Amino acid sequence: MAKTYDYLFKLLLIGDSGVGKTCILFRFSEDAFNTTFISTIGIDFKIRTIELDGKKIKLQIWDTAGQERFRTITTAYYRGAMGIMLVYDITQEKSFENIKNWIRNIEENASADVEKMLLGNKCELNDKRQVSRERGEQLAVEYGIKFMETSAKASINVEEAFLTLASDIKAKMEKRLEANNPPKGGHQLKFAETRKTETWLSKCNLL
Amino acid sequence: MNMLHTFSGSGGGGGGAHGGDSGDLELKERLIATVKKEVKQLMEEAVTKKYIHEESSSVTSLCGAVEACLSHGLRRRALGLFKTSSTTALIQKIARTCPEADYINRCLLEIEMVNEVQTVSGKRSSSSSDSIIKPKLLNKGSSNSVTTINTMSSTTSGCATSVVKYLWIRLALYERRLSKIIEYLVNNANNFYDRDALVADPDYGSILSSLLVGPCALEFTRAKTPDHYWSDPHADELVQRHRISSGNRTPPIVHRPIINFKRSLHTSSEDTSSGSYKASSPASVAKDYVESLHQNSKTTLLYGKNNVLVLPKDVNEPMPGYLSLHQTVQFLTIKWTPNQLMNGYQEADGTDKSFYWAYALNINVDEIVYVHCHQNRGEDTGGTIILVGQDGVQQPPIHFPEGGHMQAFLSCLETGLLPHGQLDPPLWSQRGIEKMFPWPKSVRRRILPSVMESADETPIDYVFRVVSKSQHEEFLATHPILELGRTSPRRKHLSSCSTTGSSDCSSKSLSMEQSGGDSPLIQASQTASIELVCSTMRRQIISRAFYGWLAYCRHLSTVRTHLSGLVNGRITPDLTADEQGLTKEKWAELQVDGVVTSDMEVFRLVYFGGVQHEIRKEVWPYLLGHYSFGSTPEEREKYDDTCKHYYETTMSEWLAVEAIVRQREKEKNAKAVAKLTAEKSRRAGKSVCRQHEMDNEEVENDVFEDISDMSDPGEDFDEETPMEKDEEDVSSISKVGKPKNGSTTDSGNVEEDIEPVEHTDLTDTTNENEQNEPDDDTNEVLMLEQSEHIVVELENIDEMEPLQLQENCFADTDNEAGLTPEHTGNILLLSVKSSPSTSSYETVGNEFTDINDLATPMNIVAESETMNFGAVIEDTEQEEDPSSQVTKFHSADDLRRAIDEFNIDILDEQTRDAETMPTHAVIITEAASFDALQCDDELTEEMSRKTSLISPMNEDITVVASLDALQEPKSACVSPASSNGGVYSSELLESFGLNLHRIEKDVQRCDRNYWYFANENLDKLRNVISTYVWEHLDIGYMQGMCDLVAPLLVIFDDESLCYSCFCKLMERMIENFPNGGAMDMHFANMRSLIQILDSEMYDLMDSNGDYTHFYFCYRWFLLDFKRELVYDDVFATWEVIWAAKQVASSHFVLFLALALLETYRDIILSNSMDFTDVIKFFNEMAERHDARSILQLSRSLVLQLQTIIENK
Repeated sequence: MAKTYDYLFKLLLIGDSGVGKTCILFRFSEDAFNTTFISTIGIDFKIRTIELDGKKIKLQIWDTAGQERFRTITTAYYRGAMGIMLVYDITQEKSFENIKNWIRNIEENASADVEKMLLGNKCELNDKRQVSRERGEQLAVEYGIKFMETSAKASINVEEAFLTLASDIKAKMEKRLEANNPPKGGHQLKFAETRKTETWLSKCNLL
Repeated sequence: MNMLHTFSGSGGGGGGAHGGDSGDLELKERLIATVKKEVKQLMEEAVTKKYIHEESSSVTSLCGAVEACLSHGLRRRALGLFKTSSTTALIQKIARTCPEADYINRCLLEIEMVNEVQTVSGKRSSSSSDSIIKPKLLNKGSSNSVTTINTMSSTTSGCATSVVKYLWIRLALYERRLSKIIEYLVNNANNFYDRDALVADPDYGSILSSLLVGPCALEFTRAKTPDHYWSDPHADELVQRHRISSGNRTPPIVHRPIINFKRSLHTSSEDTSSGSYKASSPASVAKDYVESLHQNSKTTLLYGKNNVLVLPKDVNEPMPGYLSLHQTVQFLTIKWTPNQLMNGYQEADGTDKSFYWAYALNINVDEIVYVHCHQNRGEDTGGTIILVGQDGVQQPPIHFPEGGHMQAFLSCLETGLLPHGQLDPPLWSQRGIEKMFPWPKSVRRRILPSVMESADETPIDYVFRVVSKSQHEEFLATHPILELGRTSPRRKHLSSCSTTGSSDCSSKSLSMEQSGGDSPLIQASQTASIELVCSTMRRQIISRAFYGWLAYCRHLSTVRTHLSGLVNGRITPDLTADEQGLTKEKWAELQVDGVVTSDMEVFRLVYFGGVQHEIRKEVWPYLLGHYSFGSTPEEREKYDDTCKHYYETTMSEWLAVEAIVRQREKEKNAKAVAKLTAEKSRRAGKSVCRQHEMDNEEVENDVFEDISDMSDPGEDFDEETPMEKDEEDVSSISKVGKPKNGSTTDSGNVEEDIEPVEHTDLTDTTNENEQNEPDDDTNEVLMLEQSEHIVVELENIDEMEPLQLQENCFADTDNEAGLTPEHTGNILLLSVKSSPSTSSYETVGNEFTDINDLATPMNIVAESETMNFGAVIEDTEQEEDPSSQVTKFHSADDLRRAIDEFNIDILDEQTRDAETMPTHAVIITEAASFDALQCDDELTEEMSRKTSLISPMNEDITVVASLDALQEPKSACVSPASSNGGVYSSELLESFGLNLHRIEKDVQRCDRNYWYFANENLDKLRNVISTYVWEHLDIGYMQGMCDLVAPLLVIFDDESLCYSCFCKLMERMIENFPNGGAMDMHFANMRSLIQILDSEMYDLMDSNGDYTHFYFCYRWFLLDFKRELVYDDVFATWEVIWAAKQVASSHFVLFLALALLETYRDIILSNSMDFTDVIKFFNEMAERHDARSILQLSRSLVLQLQTIIENK
């Protein structure tokens, strides 16, 4: 009855339409790139299991429709998310400006301690760049989140971004577990930890 | 061996054999390649999944490939192998000599034996169950020892085994003996195979056996472990597995409506989960337990209440849980289960909750002697019950929530105790009975009112004794008076309780007889009891039947009221066998002189059979309501023309706006890039001072760049430009414009309010007028020349194609602009001055150049307009009636109406512009030129005076200028929101620009894999959507519209027709988009439908994390299944949806969705999918559905609902 994973993390990709959310996800889950992707309608998700510090982590990554009209639908999925990737397109100033709207959206809908990360996608198109890396970094610092420039097409940083987010979630989770259950004895701790994890996970699974 | 090989090659004799040999080689090569491929596949799967499911499709394909290899060149006849599976016979043959084969053979026999047993004994059970029957081959975890074979019969006996393909190969593979067997076969190939057989081939044979070594080392599993769950099989895999496992696919079973009649009437209404969990999820103890808490065949649920607090022994805080009272044949049991166990069983991580089991209560009422009830005084919190056992040990206190739940529980408990047990004193207190009980007054007063009646006194503590059968006897003995009166109240009680505690009556009576006959007194009471039981049974049977019938009636009426709206009442006859939908011939038949009148026949044919692809282009406009039935070809043609006109007009409108938007974007991007470079240079580490300069420069660049560019040459060539102009093409307006700009900037004060500007304008005008006097003289001559020039070019106009209208417009205004400034520079000056914001300058300036570029090839094309304009206006000038003038103009040149309107729009805009200047309204290109001619209201008179001065010299300008003057009052009344455009406010520009941007993004990635959109036709798509969005700016573009236009465009390949049909389609579809309410309605309807048509599925959805919100259907409904099906199927589905509205149901999409669910119901049920599984499954299944069968199924579902509703 061995489980194939130790943790299940639910992640969410958000950002303006056409910034490349689906492509990032496709790159991460299938390690491929497709130029003929159609706009995402409704929701979809992909799964990939990664390993961090000997723990198998199953990432369930939800891909949402970017257009703000559909936010009412997509926000329903914010609730269970443990990590959110905010994606903008470095060749589209507007998509970068909208990041703050997305952040506000997260604050309104997602749980308060959700782990966030900012991604500037399409960084292979440097000649069409409109948003400098520094601005991205600055914004990330402003919100106290991590930042990376990625390229789904050239496969730059996509893997790293997800691994970073996942390990941050894992660290946060483990830290919180320890805080909640101050160690009394080795056995006790272990027991409490597993128990806590399970209940928390089950909560997150409820959609 | 090698010799043998060569021998077989040449020894076959004859050239034919040789040819066959090379063919054979090829075949062998292919066979081996297949095996290789399958092995690779399987090994890859093993790497990613750790375990391979025995029913995995890759296992089956590998076995198939191996079977093919082994069958090749097998000497069937010589060996007497005539069985259907000759390789199976082969294995039996070699079993004698090969130990591995022997083992496998024994396994085979074992399974066959089990099968036989089952076909006899287990047939009934297997045929009656709806669930999929999975072949269970071997229990995994079994070692290679033979003992497992013996246990196998017991493990497989649970379910029937169906015929499995390549059974022995499978077995050999699972048992890791396949490669050994193959090796044996290869070594002994001479005995069983032809010489040129694959197995007999020295190379291929050994390759085959060595290939299989890998797969034989793998771990196979057939258990549906959580591992299997989390390996997330792809949708294809699931479908494959399903196909393999259920030999012939079970047709989707649609259930008759199931009556959800709750038999346990006392189950608290809050406990909604007490329905039935029918989910066929893997058997887990926890789940079984939870299931046992519900009503089932063995036990009757007398009472159920959730969130009852219990304080277990070693726990500090009361825990909420589910309290239930069960009655089995022997016992009455009180159970309490912590919520953690109730909720958590489906989580697959229930193992860690095991410690909760220690807290769960399971109390046999027989062992309970006293029931202590405590109720708090004052603010009542429900009440607490403590059960005390025979040994005097107290059970943990059970605390009920507020709302009379404790009373309900006690009353159920009493019911359960009947007939040979009871609570002492009895709970039931009726006034009449009360008197018969010889209780001490104090006791009666204390107990009775507190429990059942809302007495004035606050409830207090009291104690009940549980009197079981034996104790009951004692009780009767001690209270002989009671005996006589007992029967009547009891009966009364029972009848009032009707259905509760019913099914156990017979069993109770049995147990009573068993212990009867002790004393005559008891005997007497027993006969009374039996009588009582019989009468109760009778009553209960009747009442049950009645309640059942009542519930069914209610249920049906609910169905009718809620669902009758979903289907049309009348049932349309199906197609007869010879009909094939709407074919070309049929369509031709239906047309009489090009008129189609029999609409219902068309709809019926389309609904049941679809439309032949060739005539879709003709039929679809009817289906969508673009053409009306009964219209003549002429009418249709006319209508098409109107639509075309409208479409082109609208398009020209938004194209103009697009040009501006583009320009603005360009600037914005430039700005962003500039900012970026500035940032970079700043980062490069320049001094603060320098930075400051840079910043300043930057700002200047941003705002003034264009103007400075323009004004520079302007100042230089102030005098020369007009001279040059004459020689040049009219398109060089920008140059003309520049000097004016220059002078404007010179006179300064541009960024002021209108008022001061006007002043300067006035003075400037007069000044310039005077100054330009001599110029004008020269201009006059030039002007004349130019007019001729224009007239010459005018002749081309009629050849212009309608599609070029938009360009015409540009050219038109362009020309006017080109003409006017040349001759009346002062007027242009005014216009430039009147725009207060520098940013508008920019735009104007840029647009000039832009439009010049655009218009160059057809510079003066539309000049006729200006001329006409002029002429007409001259006429009307005297009449001083602008509106009539405009109308006249319209009628004067019907062909050019589009342009006219456009012109007028522009005029409107300008005037509006002039008025709204301070609000940063952007002067559109055309307006810029026209601005030269018109100004603020106050100026108009002045202007006309001036122009009238000029008029003798320059007719054209006079005319246009005066037109402006006349337009002024008119435009003031025109609503800015008029459909013709009105003002292009910056908001409008922004919103349309945003929409265009989105459209562009989605068009670029719309079905690029489909041939129609691979390289071309994207512009058409974009035009249609943009036109729609322009017309519905309040709605704007929403993702998904693109998908809806695309199939229409593929069929029509005509923009205006596509546009018109898309508008019709959107009438229904728009409600599905986020702002409409149709989507939620769809979900609600789906909920009701699936509840009625497939309650088993509903139960699964409800219990498995509850996804009865049906969000996974979102895309289906939003796009009419466009993304779920391939293009050809989309066509077929859409036309059925449209026709269905008239024929069967205007909500046909619901039935399509149902059909999709039903098609895969077995897979969904057998994998007990939750929401994410379902979403994943359907997203992966997109474009893989069998549209034909789904359409057929949805039609039959409609019919089914129609019959349910009709069947009264």
